[in-house]
Amino acid sequence: MTGPEARVTSQDRPDAPPDPESGSPLWKPAADTGSHTGRRGASGAETAPDAQGEVLVKVTDLVKHFPIRGGLLGIRRLGAVRAVDGVSFDVRRGETLGLVGESGCGKTTLGKVILRLLPPTSGDVSIKDRPIFGLSGSKMKAVREDMQVVFQDPYASLNPRMTVGEIVGEGPLVHGLKNRVKREELVRELLGKVGLNQSHIHRYPHEFSGGQRQRIGIARALALNPDFIVCDEPVSALDVSIQSQVLNLLDDLQRELGLTYLFIAHNLAVVEHISDRVGVMYLGKIVELADVDTLYRDARHPYTVALLSAVPEPDPRRRRKRLVLRGDVPSPVNPPSGCRFHTRCWLREQLGNPENCVTDEPELRTISPGQQAACHWSEKITPEGVQSAAEHQPPVTLAEAAAD
Amino acid sequence: MTSSSNVASPPALPTAGQLLELRDLRTHFYTQDGTVRAVDGVTFEIRDGQTLGVVGESGCGKSITAMSVLRLIERPGRVVGGQVLLRGKDLLEYSDTEMRDVRGNQISMIFQEPMTSLNPVYTCGDQIAEAVELHEAVNRRQAWARAVEMLAQVGIPEPARRAKQFPHQMSGGMRQRVMIAMALSTNPELLIADEPTTALDVTIQAQILELMKALRERNKMAIMLITHDLGVIAEMADEVVVMYGGKVMERADAMTIFERPHNPYTRGLLASIPRLGEKRERLEVIQGVVPNPLNLPTGCLFKRRCPYAMPVCDTAPPVRQVAPGHVSRCWLTPAGEPPRIGEDAPPELAEESAQELTVMAR
Repeated sequence: MTGPEARVTSQDRPDAPPDPESGSPLWKPAADTGSHTGRRGASGAETAPDAQGEVLVKVTDLVKHFPIRGGLLGIRRLGAVRAVDGVSFDVRRGETLGLVGESGCGKTTLGKVILRLLPPTSGDVSIKDRPIFGLSGSKMKAVREDMQVVFQDPYASLNPRMTVGEIVGEGPLVHGLKNRVKREELVRELLGKVGLNQSHIHRYPHEFSGGQRQRIGIARALALNPDFIVCDEPVSALDVSIQSQVLNLLDDLQRELGLTYLFIAHNLAVVEHISDRVGVMYLGKIVELADVDTLYRDARHPYTVALLSAVPEPDPRRRRKRLVLRGDVPSPVNPPSGCRFHTRCWLREQLGNPENCVTDEPELRTISPGQQAACHWSEKITPEGVQSAAEHQPPVTLAEAAAD
Repeated sequence: MTSSSNVASPPALPTAGQLLELRDLRTHFYTQDGTVRAVDGVTFEIRDGQTLGVVGESGCGKSITAMSVLRLIERPGRVVGGQVLLRGKDLLEYSDTEMRDVRGNQISMIFQEPMTSLNPVYTCGDQIAEAVELHEAVNRRQAWARAVEMLAQVGIPEPARRAKQFPHQMSGGMRQRVMIAMALSTNPELLIADEPTTALDVTIQAQILELMKALRERNKMAIMLITHDLGVIAEMADEVVVMYGGKVMERADAMTIFERPHNPYTRGLLASIPRLGEKRERLEVIQGVVPNPLNLPTGCLFKRRCPYAMPVCDTAPPVRQVAPGHVSRCWLTPAGEPPRIGEDAPPELAEESAQELTVMAR
């Protein structure tokens, strides 16, 4: 363990100002978990769709473009991948905000920009009312104690040359817990918390299974006692039987420690299970944002409807006509005009291709309390309409095959 | 479908419509650390036009089973026992040349990751045309025309232009369509699809599943669908095989597996998945982890994780018939109770009883 200790000399803890809100040392358990307003609150009133909790993280008009460079010297700007293109939402203390969308929709980029792991193009993110993009390195370091991340791939996100103790203890070390004995004590406590054997502290990542590694990743995220954790596809790489163990663990930790999650995933059933509210992303935009029950019961954006319809259900009795979107997601370099979904939209087709879908970009607007959608024609979505859209789509591709 | 009598008479002629039958297939890997019994006595059958779902967690042997059927196992692995009967003939006894004829012609396979299974330096059209040329007496031009036609069949717009493109110029869904086009270009009787939609997004997955259904309908082709996704199984499969630790834990028609599963492992799997529209406070979990393949427990492989584990589970459980066409590898009686010999029966008695109750070959 000489390596990490040698490194600490360059870390000058004193210049990081103590966070006014949490004066206690980081590695002490949070005293305040009272404001937890998760869905599992004791009374039904607490989880009422309109309940406005304290805003912990505020994302305002966030934009992240990745320039595409070319030309002889590779410096000419040819265009940009508009990965995140104007996204605003709040995450309230104690809740889990789910974020779903297909690959390439920008959900992972969004998570990274919120954590300032990637610099934004424009827009703002504040945590506890403190904008983070202007902060200097040392101030940012202090803010990072409040926001942590759990990554998707438990194989790639743990350094194979470090023991579990070093991995989990690295954060506290960097943030000033230099006493080795105390650090080990903390790591053992964290391992116990995430359901790992405390005596495994000196083992290396390869000695663990996928589910156990993800527990290590979670312990690492908890080590600085954060308020806010971005979970980026934390269970996608795990087997079904292990997935439920990790989801339950995240649930328990949230209740115990009053954590707030931004839960990014593509599995709609997993997101439904874990989230209080859910945002649906398409081509760098949030197209619908609603309380979980509302969204899954009464989606108000045609893309959400199609996404939900596409999920195969583990019940052979419920085999049904699904609403199959045609084509692929358009390129985020050159997104369609107006509503970005109009090229694949079944509702637009049903309404006789109204003009404004192509010309006007729909804003996220409130449809009902606790539900926002970015569609000009949200009110036209009816169960019968969805049904008929599913039934009247041309049989897949074999029409073309018959033609030749 | 399988009755005990069917399997008991060894070199039986294939029953009408019986396409592929696996009997007690065993594929082992001889590694430096010991022998891994990746596939250890797998028995099932696929009839013409039927879709068989093979489901299980990673490492349960489902992909190795498929590779064994096509004899694609490489050292240190080896098929060490059992039979793979295609229309009654054992593929394990075929010469390499004969086997090459079977691959593609009678059985085709598609893989999970289309990017790694397509050749990046040839165009998609070239790769399909190559398959056609190898299997049919056609010239280059005809093979190319056939490739374009196949691309059209799997729903690729502008097939003539797309045929000239390289795999990296296509999206994941398109690449999987190319794989399917290649697999179907020789009109096989059986398509083995190993996690065909796992790498794809749900809306693209829905497209591919619909495509596979339509093609299955039209070509009257049987499908062996390997996946860990119970949703895909429920959507597609007629029959389901549940594998764990290289063994078949349960086998029945899809409706039975989902509505009246017998094996505690199957029940655990079904209980542990979050489902749309069913919000539960907590997910059921299967305790523990998949056992180390180098160090499998004696007796039932699932006993350490099983909520029903009994002393008798230290003896390998019987594969018993729960109902006609429904078999389960478990000591629980068809009604789900402890075995009649008693849950703490002595090993000798248990072994004897297991043999009596077992309906498949060993």
